[in-house]
Amino acid sequence: MPSDELTQKAGASPVRYSGATKRYPGSAKAAVEDLTLEVPAGEICVLVGPSGCGKTTAMRMVNRTVEMTEGDIFIGEQSVRDRNPAQLRREIGYVIQQIGLFPHRTIAENIGAVPQLLGWKKERAAARGAELLALVGLDPDLADRYPAQLSGGQQQRVGVARALAADPLVMLMDEPFGAIDPINRERLQNEFLRLQAEIGKTVLFVTHDIDEAIKMGDRIAIMREGGKLAQYATPAELLMDPADEFVEDFVGADRALKRLALMRVSDIDLWEAPLAYVGQATGEVRAKLEGAEVPYPLLVDSERRPLGWLSGRDLAGEQVPARPDSPLGPLLDRDDVMRDALADLLQGESQYAAVVDHEGRIDGVLSVEIISEFLASPEAKTEEHSATERPHG
Amino acid sequence: MASAIALAAVGEVGKGFIHERTSETLPCQATNKLFCWDWAGEHINRYETPTLQHLELVAISVVIGFVIAFALALLAHRHQWLQPPLLAGTGVLYTIPSVAFFFLLLPLTGRGMDTAIIALSAYTLQIIFRNTMIGFANVPRAVVDAARGMGQTDRQILWRVELPLAMPEIFAGLQVATVSTVAIATLAAFAGGGGLGEPILKGGISFKTNLIIAGGIAFLIAVSLGLILFAVQRFLTPWRRVRQAG
Repeated sequence: MPSDELTQKAGASPVRYSGATKRYPGSAKAAVEDLTLEVPAGEICVLVGPSGCGKTTAMRMVNRTVEMTEGDIFIGEQSVRDRNPAQLRREIGYVIQQIGLFPHRTIAENIGAVPQLLGWKKERAAARGAELLALVGLDPDLADRYPAQLSGGQQQRVGVARALAADPLVMLMDEPFGAIDPINRERLQNEFLRLQAEIGKTVLFVTHDIDEAIKMGDRIAIMREGGKLAQYATPAELLMDPADEFVEDFVGADRALKRLALMRVSDIDLWEAPLAYVGQATGEVRAKLEGAEVPYPLLVDSERRPLGWLSGRDLAGEQVPARPDSPLGPLLDRDDVMRDALADLLQGESQYAAVVDHEGRIDGVLSVEIISEFLASPEAKTEEHSATERPHG
Repeated sequence: MASAIALAAVGEVGKGFIHERTSETLPCQATNKLFCWDWAGEHINRYETPTLQHLELVAISVVIGFVIAFALALLAHRHQWLQPPLLAGTGVLYTIPSVAFFFLLLPLTGRGMDTAIIALSAYTLQIIFRNTMIGFANVPRAVVDAARGMGQTDRQILWRVELPLAMPEIFAGLQVATVSTVAIATLAAFAGGGGLGEPILKGGISFKTNLIIAGGIAFLIAVSLGLILFAVQRFLTPWRRVRQAG
C-alpha cells in the first residue's frame, strides 16, 4: 500500500560526520575542516553560516557530489565512501535553491525521476506521484503540465515531492526556499515543518539566514570561514548560550527577541484575569480587582469564553452589563508563538491580551509587561561578556 | 564569404562556356528576356536529374557532417580542453573558398560526387559543432546538478537531460548547415559532382531563364528543408510550446 510509505518513520537514518574534511588542490585553507557531528534520525539539522563558510560543501559531501579528502560520513552504520555514488544518491533526497526541475519533463515525470532510476513499475511510480502531489498540497491536474507552467512556489513544492519520491533515508536541502518571495517562503517553511512532522526524515538543511535556521532546525550547526564548526546546539541553547563572539555576532544582537520565536504563549507564566459574568453583582467584581495583576475585569460567558473588557463605567451599575464598554482586542491561543503574540499585542495597541485554550476558554492574560520582564530576565539575556573573558574559538 | 569568392570564379570560368554552349537559339532566348515561359515548359525535365543529385549531395553531406561534428561535440563536452582546437580546426575548414577547396581535392579524390561531398561535409562541421556546444552550454547548471544529485550517471545525464535540452540549438545548427549546403552545392558542378550547378554551367550564366529555374529550384529546396527541420524540432521539443506561468 503506497499510503503506508508516507507515514512510516522507519525510513530515516542518523547521519554522522567523522572528521570530514574537504581540501581543494592549490588552496591553503580547507573548505570544510575536520567536521564531526551527529544528526539523529528524523531530525532537521540546519547548517548555517556566512557565505564561504563551507556549509554547502559540508552538505554535498553526504551524497558525494563533493568528495571529501579526509574523514568519513556515515548514514546509519554505512560509510558513504563504500557506496557507488549514483546508487547512494538515489537513496538521498536532494533539493536545491534553483529547484532544477527538468524543463522537458512533465511534473509527473519529474516526480517519477528517481523511481524510474530505481526501476519501479510505471503504475507504482504514478500512484506514488499522485500521492506526493497531494502531500505537498498541489492540484493533481498539474501532473501533466511542464515546469514552466507553474509558479515558483509550486515548482519548489514539486522539487520537494521529487526528492521524497523514493522515500529517501536522508534529505539534503540547499537553501530550498532562498529564491522564493518572503510570503511564500514563510508558507513553504510551515508546510515543510508540517510535512516533516508526518514523514520524520533526517534532513540536512543549508541556509545563510539565522532566522530560518532557528525556525526550521531541531539542531543548528553554525559554521565559520575555513569550514570550521563554531557551535552545534539546539536553537534555544544557541540563543541562550552562544559559544563565542562569532556565534553571538552571527545570531545577532536581538537574540533575546529571537527566542520569542521559539516559545509558545503557554511557556510563560500568564497573569490571572479578574473574571466577570453577565448579570453578576458589580460589587463582587470590584472586590476581585483588589490586588489583581490586571486592573480591568474580563467579561466572560457561562463557558468562560472571553467577551470583552469592562471599564469603570460598566461597573457603575448594580449588575455587570451584557455588552462591555471595551472590545476584547487581541485574542491569543495558548499554542501561539510568542513572537506572533507580541506582534498581535503591538498591532492591537493593547496592553493586555486574553489567552484561551483549545475550547476557547480563558486561560490567562498576556501583557506587554510580562514579555518585557521576560526579555530583561537573565534567562533570556545572558550577561554581556568581553572578548577577554571568552576566548575566540 | 566562401560563396562570394566562388561566384566571382563562376564569372571568370563562365566566360569560356557561354559562346560554346548557348548554341540552342530560340527567339525568346535570343532577346534574353527575364523569363521564357515556352522554353521553360519544353525543357523543365532536363532539371530533374540535377535536382535529385542536388538533394543527394545535400542529404549525404549534412548527414556525414552531422555525425562527425556531433561526435566531436560529445568528445569536447567531456574533455573541455578540446573545444578551442576543434573550434579553430573546423573554423579553418569553413574559411576555405569552396571552388578552391574543390580544386585542392581534385588531385586527391578526382572529379565526381565524392569530392563534392567531402568539401560540403567539411563546411557543415563548424556550424553544427559550434551550435551543439552552445546547446550544451545553455543547459541550466541547476538542472544538471539536480540530475546528478538524484543519482543519474554521466551517461544518463547526457542522454536524458543535456541532449534533449540542447535540441533547439542543435537543430538551429542543422538548419543553417543544411540551407547553406544547398547553396554551396551549386558549385559542386566544378568538381564534376553534378547538382543544380550543372545546368547553370552548361546553359551559361547569361541565359536568365536557365538561371532562374536552377536557382529557383535550389531556393525551394533550401526553404523546404529548413521548414521540415523546423517542424521536426518543434515536434521533438513539446515543452517549449507551453504557455509560461504568470
